[in-house]
This record gives sequence, C-alpha cells and structure tokens, in this order.
Amino acid sequence: MRDAVRNMFVMIELELRRLRHDRTELYFRAVQPVLWIVVFGPVMGSVRGIPTPGNIPYTDFITPGVLIQSTTFLCIFYGLMMVWERDSGILKKLLVTPASRYSMVIGRSMASGVRAIFQGLIIVPVALIIGVRFYPNPAYFISAFIIIFFASGGFAAISILVASFMKTRERFMGIGQAIIMPLFFASNALYPLQMMPQALQYFSAVNPMSYVVDATRGLMITGDLTNLLVDLAAIAVFDIVMFILASISFKRIIE
Amino acid sequence: MEKTGSAVDTKNLVKVYKGETRALDGIDLTVEAGIAFALLGPNGAGKTTLIRILTTQLKPTTGEACVFGLNVTREGSKIRRLISYVPQEMSVWTDISGYENLLMYAKIFGIPSQERENIIHEALENMGLDQVSDNLVSTYSGGMVRRLEIASAMLIKPKIMFLDEPTIGLDPSAKKVVWARLTNFKKQHGVTVFFNTHYMDEADLYSDRIAIINRGKIVKQGTAEELKRSIGGEVILFNLRNTDVSEESLRRLRSVETVKDVNLTNSELSILVEDAETSLPQIMDLLRNEGIKTEKISITKPTLDDVFLKYAGARLETSGRISEVTQMRRMIRKG
Repeated sequence: MRDAVRNMFVMIELELRRLRHDRTELYFRAVQPVLWIVVFGPVMGSVRGIPTPGNIPYTDFITPGVLIQSTTFLCIFYGLMMVWERDSGILKKLLVTPASRYSMVIGRSMASGVRAIFQGLIIVPVALIIGVRFYPNPAYFISAFIIIFFASGGFAAISILVASFMKTRERFMGIGQAIIMPLFFASNALYPLQMMPQALQYFSAVNPMSYVVDATRGLMITGDLTNLLVDLAAIAVFDIVMFILASISFKRIIE
Repeated sequence: MEKTGSAVDTKNLVKVYKGETRALDGIDLTVEAGIAFALLGPNGAGKTTLIRILTTQLKPTTGEACVFGLNVTREGSKIRRLISYVPQEMSVWTDISGYENLLMYAKIFGIPSQERENIIHEALENMGLDQVSDNLVSTYSGGMVRRLEIASAMLIKPKIMFLDEPTIGLDPSAKKVVWARLTNFKKQHGVTVFFNTHYMDEADLYSDRIAIINRGKIVKQGTAEELKRSIGGEVILFNLRNTDVSEESLRRLRSVETVKDVNLTNSELSILVEDAETSLPQIMDLLRNEGIKTEKISITKPTLDDVFLKYAGARLETSGRISEVTQMRRMIRKG
C-alpha cells in the first residue's frame, strides 16, 4: 500500500515535470471545449429550447459538462501513452522495478488527474470572460476540482483497460473516440436527463460521466448539493471497479 | 535446483508464444555470479525472450528459471529487488531532462531522499552525462540516450544487471566508453552482468563467458577462447565468382581428409582446416575439378563468427539488423 501511494506521487510528479517543460498539448486540447462554451453555448442558449434547472443561462449549465468532457478526453488518451510506452521500453523497465503492478496502474491513472486539473484551469478563465457565473464559494470550487482529479483516475483506468486489448496506437485512436462520444452525449453534460428518451436515461444512470457532471455542476454553478453523496459514492465505486479491472488486464499489455 | 553460487540457472526452459512460435526450445543455462555473461545470437534467436523471462516480465511455458536461487515464476517480487534492466528499446522519457529521468527512477526504486542526489550524480558522471544532465532528453543523441538508460540501471547497486543489446546503435568509440564504465562498475560492486548481443566483437572483448543461442537453443557455450579453440585450426575463405555450387561438390569437399567443416553463404565459401598451408593445394585442385571459380582467397584464425557458423550453420547477419533497430529507436524518439 505504501508502495502504491509512493508510486502514485512519483507518477504525479512525472506529469508535473512534463507539464513544466511543455504545455502545448493542454492548450490545443482546450480549443474544443472553449468552442463549446464560446460558440455552442450562447447559440443554443439564444434558442431557449432547453429548460435548465433554476433557469440558469444555458452556457452556465453546460460549462461543467464541457469541462468534464474535455478532461475525460485527456484521460482516455492517457491510456494511449501506455500503449506508446509499451512500444518503447519504458513500461518494460517499470515492470522490472520493485513497484507492484497494481500500484503502477493506479499511479499512472491518478497522474492523469494532474493533467485534467491543469486543463480545467485553462478553461475556467475563458468561461469567466464569456460571463459564466460560478457559484461564489471557493471551498465548493476546490472540491469540484478534487472530484475531477479522482474521477479522472477512473477514466484513465478505462483507457488502460481498453489499451490492453489494442495492440496498435492507430486502432486505439478510433476506439478512444468511440468511448468518449457516447459517454458525453448520453450524459447530462449538454441537457437535463429528463429531456432524454427513456432508454438513454437508463444508460445515463450507469454512465459515470453523468455523476461527475452532476457533482461538479452542483459545486461550481448551482450550489445545489442534494445529490452530492450519491454522486460521490458512484464515482468511488467507478474508480475502484476500473482500477481492479485495469490491474487485471494490465498483464495483457506486457505480453 | 537451488544453487547458491550461480546468478542464473535455467532448466529445460521453453517459451511458446500464442501456442505456435517456439521462442525458447529447452534452454539449460548456468551463469556464475560476478562474471560478465554474453548471450550471442542473431535476430529472433530468443535472446530477448530469455532476458524477459529472467527479469520476470514473461512467464515460461514450461521449465524452470532461477535468479540467485529465486524462482522467476513464484518469487518475482524478490528478484525485482536484486536486478536492474535495460531493455533493447528506448526506456527513458524524452520530454523531461536526463537528471529528472534518473530522479523518477530513483524514487520508484525507493532510494532514500538524502542519498538520491549523490547516487544520481555518480551515475551521471559514470556515464559521462553530467554536462548535459539538465537538458531535455529529446535533445540527446542516440548514444547519450543509451548511456542515460545504462546510468539508470546503475542507480541501485544490483546483484545482476540484464542488458538487452546494451550498445545497439552506438558508434565504436561510444561503445568502448560504455563498456569501460560498465566493466568498472562491475568490478567496483561485484555485479553480475548478463547481456544480449549480436556483435561478436562485443561478446569477444567484454564477456567472461559466452553462450551461443540459435532458434531458441543454446548451441555452444564457453569462454571466447574455448569456443574459438573448439573449432580449432584455420579458416580459408573463398570469394566465389559463381554462386551455384552443387551439394555434390560440397560433399566432396567435406570428404577431404584435412577439411573439418565447409559452409557456403551466398558467394562465400568458408572451409575450416587444421593447417591452411598444407590443405590449400588439395582444396584448390578439387575446386578446379568441380568447376568452381574463385575470386579471392583469405586465410584467418577462427573468429566467433566462424564458431557461430559451425554450431548454428549460419552467419550472424548484423548489418540489416542494426539499421532496423536504429530506425525503430529513431521512430520512437519522434513519438
């Protein structure tokens, strides 16, 4: 256990050091979510076709959803890096260190949360400029980022799981899209759950992204925390299940 | 099969990939502690598979393997505390500095923080990288990257180092430097060095013992001297003008009394004899009768390549292989 925690911090430090040298990836990845907030949000909002809870502006409503979508994107493609590292010798070498394999999986997954937080920190100022009103409570805001950090670990673990079945990077690129888009569109990121067809609502109930969006929306925008405990429990279960599955499948990456 | 004196011990080790490719086909190998051991063989011989089993990355299909008496299948985590390993492929992060790479590995190895600084600087100095340690690895040359990888294997003082093609893609002078440092490190800390190579000169110069591996089998082992002596005599090498030499002619050549071995690869006919001066006239006559025209004749003492040729029945084809691997490393560097 101590090993796992130490490993996690080493992997997080590695990500921080990488980011210190080069943040271009984060800037480019911010382009898409910024377009959602700056273009899609105001345009759709002016239609007034989508009822939002408490009648908050539509752009405010989707900001947490877009934020989570972009951090999830980042985390899913983090698994790609594991495939890359398998092609290179890094993974082989890491596996020959005393660190246990599951600590490697959890450590790498959580490290993606670091990138996610930085990504969020790029998007939030843009949202502020466009006039999104965040809930004025710093403690809520910080909590939202902590939730993003932990949820990112689970999404990165999904990508490790999928990466363990993909033998090439090219294949993974397509699959990455195929995972994220359904998660995004069949969640409450862009519209309230009640607007969705019944079948999608069922899917949304097991879609981890919905819970993450709900929690961060409550903390960042509406201040409505009635579902927070359910959301947190769902995210915790999601993380644990994904860590276990990813650790089991991790063997496949090596061989 | 627990032998405390040996660093590596394998018994009838077999590895079959996906139920078909037989990468290792019954390897019996014992490596004494404290020596430099070379596993010499061509591409696809099973060298990397063997190293990956010994470093606990892969499980053997059947058979047993032990590192310092610890079983690779059952006691992997104990083995991982004793060994360090440099894979054939690039194994450092290119988007951080050389120093940071070693720092990350030092932390993963659990080296206490007060010792870290010294150990890292020592390893960097050992590999001659102290001047560039703060530069991004993406600015390093291939040789510098390889030196950094070896430096990271020196962070802990392992009981055994597994090096998979340690000097691949290095120019001769860099190769020499790396080996001088490795030899020094081995002497200083009593480390066993187990390395794979397809460079004969490397096996010849830097190992205490060599095992020749081909198609998943150890075909011969001993010191470089022993191996060369085992085939004895001298090698007469003919460069032929025509390459279509019949089996019948080869058979006749082999039946000459003084001829110990005959091998034909492309247009090179190499004949192993006890004494070249006395056998040459007889062989020349025979070649002329068979209508085989020669372009050039040279006489040499046997090299490890001749040893390999004799026991594995093929030349170690090196040139194509090197460019292939350097190309791959370059591709990986570009990301």
